[in-house]
Amino acid sequence: MTADYAIVCEHVCKDFVLHHNAQHSLKARFIGLFHDRWRMTRQSFRAVDDVSFTVRRGASLGLMGRNGSGKSTLLSLIAGIYPATAGHIETRGRLVPMIALGVGFNPELSGSENIYLNASLFGFKNREIRALFPKILEFSELGDFIHEPVKNYSSGMYVRLGFSVAMHLEPEILLADEILSVGDAEFQKKCLAQIAKMREDGMTLLFVSHSEEQVVRFCDHYLYLENGRVIGEGSTDDLLTPSVVPRRAPG
Amino acid sequence: MLATATPVSNPIAVLRGWWEYRDLLYNLVSKDIKVRYQGAALGFAWSLMNPLVVTAMYLFIFTYVMPSNQPHFALYLVTGIVHWTLFSNLVTQAPELLTANAGLLQKIRFPRLLVPASNLLLNLVLWAMALVVFFSLFIPLGGHFKLVLLAYPAYLLLFIGFNFGLMLILSVLYVDFRDLKHLIEVVMQVLFWATPIIYDFKLIPAHLRLLFAASPLTEFTLIFQDLFWAGRLPSQHLTLAFIFWTLASLALGLTIFYRRSARLIERL
Repeated sequence: MTADYAIVCEHVCKDFVLHHNAQHSLKARFIGLFHDRWRMTRQSFRAVDDVSFTVRRGASLGLMGRNGSGKSTLLSLIAGIYPATAGHIETRGRLVPMIALGVGFNPELSGSENIYLNASLFGFKNREIRALFPKILEFSELGDFIHEPVKNYSSGMYVRLGFSVAMHLEPEILLADEILSVGDAEFQKKCLAQIAKMREDGMTLLFVSHSEEQVVRFCDHYLYLENGRVIGEGSTDDLLTPSVVPRRAPG
Repeated sequence: MLATATPVSNPIAVLRGWWEYRDLLYNLVSKDIKVRYQGAALGFAWSLMNPLVVTAMYLFIFTYVMPSNQPHFALYLVTGIVHWTLFSNLVTQAPELLTANAGLLQKIRFPRLLVPASNLLLNLVLWAMALVVFFSLFIPLGGHFKLVLLAYPAYLLLFIGFNFGLMLILSVLYVDFRDLKHLIEVVMQVLFWATPIIYDFKLIPAHLRLLFAASPLTEFTLIFQDLFWAGRLPSQHLTLAFIFWTLASLALGLTIFYRRSARLIERL
């Protein structure tokens, strides 16, 4: 892999097995040996189909497409959460997937305890988190609520905490899955500004969004997925010309 | 940090990878302890309740109802029950480990082995209290601190290794076979009575002994009884069987876990 690239995907495919008669028990499997009706029929579903692209270090790519087009699956594959069925994926640099905010938050624990738990899930040492803690707290604007159990938070506070942690993990590659549509307008603005700043500092961004406007604003390039296939790609400058991006499935 | 989507196969790199995550392990364990005993006035003393009550019950029965002629029967019984408790806690919690942590496993990439490892550590921390109680009762119950006890840590480590392998196997199998949990409940009942914890191994009819001895739990129990109750070094024969079971369980567990866990994540 050339050093210039932060993300390389080559002919990546992902099949999910759909369990139609899903039989999660030994009994059913046993009976299935003798009776057709109980037998499990496996059908697979190709969520990502032969996708290839590269993202240069410091560049940003917007992943667009309708619901179910494979964007999130692709992101999970790049994050290394699922193995790809075929193809090859390589990433270089500290990768922070923001696939959902506040993942791993335990409702019983306080905000500060959750900061430690969450950051350590991303590979941070407690010593490093202690150093980052004041910044995270300040960004989250949670004040004394940080010592309250997270179950007592409003949904906005929850999102703020999740975002503040993710923003301070010093990602070299940030995988962001439609996370900018949350929180109040004021906080959202602050997050966008923070992402823009990190981009200037050389962070690579892979950005999933429905919003063409946000993609144009944050990304140099876009990739348009439909049914797991790439059906459009190019520079985001082209997006300003309306006819380029297919907004509807052909036919 | 070089993050690739392909699994690392170099064992030293794997070990270093785990070491990098030691703070996470600590945080996961402390989370579990906080969540489990939050608002409970007696806190983790509750973890002692079960073994204490069970021991007291058997002691009562086998002292007053059906008196045992085993010398120092209480010590014999407690030795077995203390180790059985660890085994039973780990094995009954193991199946649901992966599914209970689906939310984490499907959103964040971290070494998946840390999920069972943190549960093992959690149970060991709680069990350490039982062990302290056991050691403080050791002399009153008629035990003697002999040199053979120095061998205990090594045997305990093997026992823990055996349990860990079993946990890995069960946690992976449970994803596909959800009735495993009920099966385990039944098997644990049978296994408890098939293990010479409350009776003497020699009371088993000679022609059935081989059957009982085939269970790894029997071997482990006999070893701990040798060390604590009889005050002698376990036979070479037993020790070898013990090492065999541990290696087999760990090898199978780690293989299954590494082969299958990546593909399991999407099905949790």
